[in-house]
Amino acid sequence: MKLIISNVSGIPIYEQIKQQVKAAILSGELKEDEALPSLRTLAKDLKISVLTVTRAYTELEQEGFVKNVQGRGCFVMGRGSELMREQLICKVENGLTDAIKAARIADLPNEELHRLLDILLEANKDD
Amino acid sequence: MSNTLKATKLDFSLVKPYIKVIGFTMLLPIAFAAINRSILTGVSFAMCFIAMTTGYTFSVTEKNSMERLYGILPIKKSEMVTGRYLFVLALGAMALVVSLITQPIVLRAMGESVGAFDMISAAIGGLFLFALYTVFQIPGYYKYGAIKGRVFMYIPVAGFLATLFFLPKMPADNPIVTTVVSSPVLLIGLVLVLVVVMYAVSIWFSIRIMENKEM
Amino acid sequence: MTNYLEVKNLSKSFDSFQLHNISFTLPKGYIMGLIGPNGSGKTTTIKLILNMLKRNGGEIKIMGLDNIADEQKAKSELGVVFDTNYFSDDWQVTQVEKSISVFYPNWKSERFAEMLRKFHIAPTKKVKELSKGMQMKLMLACAFSYDAKLLILDEPTSGLDPVSRDELLQILSEYIEDGEHSVLFSTHITGDLERAADYITYISYGELFFSGSKDEFVDMFRIVKGGTEELTPDLREKAVGVRTFPTGFEALVKTEDTGAFSSLSIEPATIDEIVVFTSKKGDDYE
Repeated sequence: MKLIISNVSGIPIYEQIKQQVKAAILSGELKEDEALPSLRTLAKDLKISVLTVTRAYTELEQEGFVKNVQGRGCFVMGRGSELMREQLICKVENGLTDAIKAARIADLPNEELHRLLDILLEANKDD
Repeated sequence: MSNTLKATKLDFSLVKPYIKVIGFTMLLPIAFAAINRSILTGVSFAMCFIAMTTGYTFSVTEKNSMERLYGILPIKKSEMVTGRYLFVLALGAMALVVSLITQPIVLRAMGESVGAFDMISAAIGGLFLFALYTVFQIPGYYKYGAIKGRVFMYIPVAGFLATLFFLPKMPADNPIVTTVVSSPVLLIGLVLVLVVVMYAVSIWFSIRIMENKEM
Repeated sequence: MTNYLEVKNLSKSFDSFQLHNISFTLPKGYIMGLIGPNGSGKTTTIKLILNMLKRNGGEIKIMGLDNIADEQKAKSELGVVFDTNYFSDDWQVTQVEKSISVFYPNWKSERFAEMLRKFHIAPTKKVKELSKGMQMKLMLACAFSYDAKLLILDEPTSGLDPVSRDELLQILSEYIEDGEHSVLFSTHITGDLERAADYITYISYGELFFSGSKDEFVDMFRIVKGGTEELTPDLREKAVGVRTFPTGFEALVKTEDTGAFSSLSIEPATIDEIVVFTSKKGDDYE
């Protein structure tokens, strides 16, 4: 997983870590039960405070993305977890909404939109 | 190894760069012994000179602000001070041994006879002089530092002058004085006791100075 | 959580300076920055921890041990780096080991050799031939050789070039990685701490201003910027410190007070800005 910390973005470092871990989970780069980098090693590698990483990981846990196993590390929660599903549905809704908006602008009829979705579903079947 | 001995060892490592000067200081008095044809003179000079070199420990620590090292080492101030005295005594003992070995060889080569009595009296005299110099000097160094503390070395000198001045005025027939002077064993014993007492008092002062000192 | 350093109500009076009721706690496994302008009492605090100065009041515990009653035991777990080295400058690096190692029962010679290799310190060099950065690393190498649990650094970065400063932060991050070591780091170059420190203790003119997590510290304040006419009396009153200049102003404002000024530019504050503004408390500076 790639983690890059910006000093000039104005976004707090713990927030940057959270965003990037979430993105990696949602993109599937981090799979279920996969371990996040060890808290102290990550702090050392990024030369940032241990407490900052702790905060990022704790908040990720509170939000249900990861679970902290005492003494073993932080693991990505299963995709079936309610929250991840919600997040994914939300992502689907957003994507579809974007598609609908674009279809409106292009004056695409609803049947055509459905047909396009079916074609895309067919095309991505093997994935 | 006890902490005191570790401190002594540290002191030896402090003066390591001065090892040649110290060696020279130990051998130079051979010349004085030869000129005066007296081992008493030679040993006395040797002990006075070597007493001066003990100040190197203080000047090296001061130059490098090594009080900070002493501040972080896991060792008591009293151990550190006692270690310094042991170092000083060890250096003095080395100078005494070197003098008592080298000087008789040179003197005998010059045709002088050096008897056991001469050796013992030189050793006792040298030890006493060395103690006299160092017992004032070390607390002075601890209290005032390596440069100002040097003044304390002159206290014994002032003491000698005062003794020379007052001695003739003392009644010569003092019974205590005559008894002591007439018995060498008593004299030696007295000197040894005096040396021990002087060092004990001096160490006590130095420890007090260091314990109250802020670095 | 185990605390490696506990300072409670520490006080010390000098003729012209007083350290008042300083309290802070450094848990095991973290880095704490001790900050404040020069002369604010950072070095005094450190020397009191080391019992090199005698405190007038308060209590200090190093790894649970009283710093005076158990001084020797506590110090055998302690590594210290001062702004300049405390070895004899005529010593070779090998002599440094010979002189110091006897005092530490835990001293590992292989570890010292390993550290010298890692820090590129030639064992045959004399202390005075080493650069300032190298001398600092030599002090660190010693502390690591007896596995000091708590490392105290007094202004280690003053006079160091940026490369050495970065290396030091790297070394410290590695040092605390296993969660078994802590660092107290005094500095007035706060940029060094901006990222790596977990906790901040900020002493200003002998008084404790703040002690707690760095994120919390930085989050306490915001920088509000605007044109000269936007510096209202209300803002001036709420600001902890203001800097005015012909084309505008910059003010340090407590985060909870920034609500009223949301029309102005509000930015996160750096540790440096907080120190600068709070130590000029009360009066504007140009």
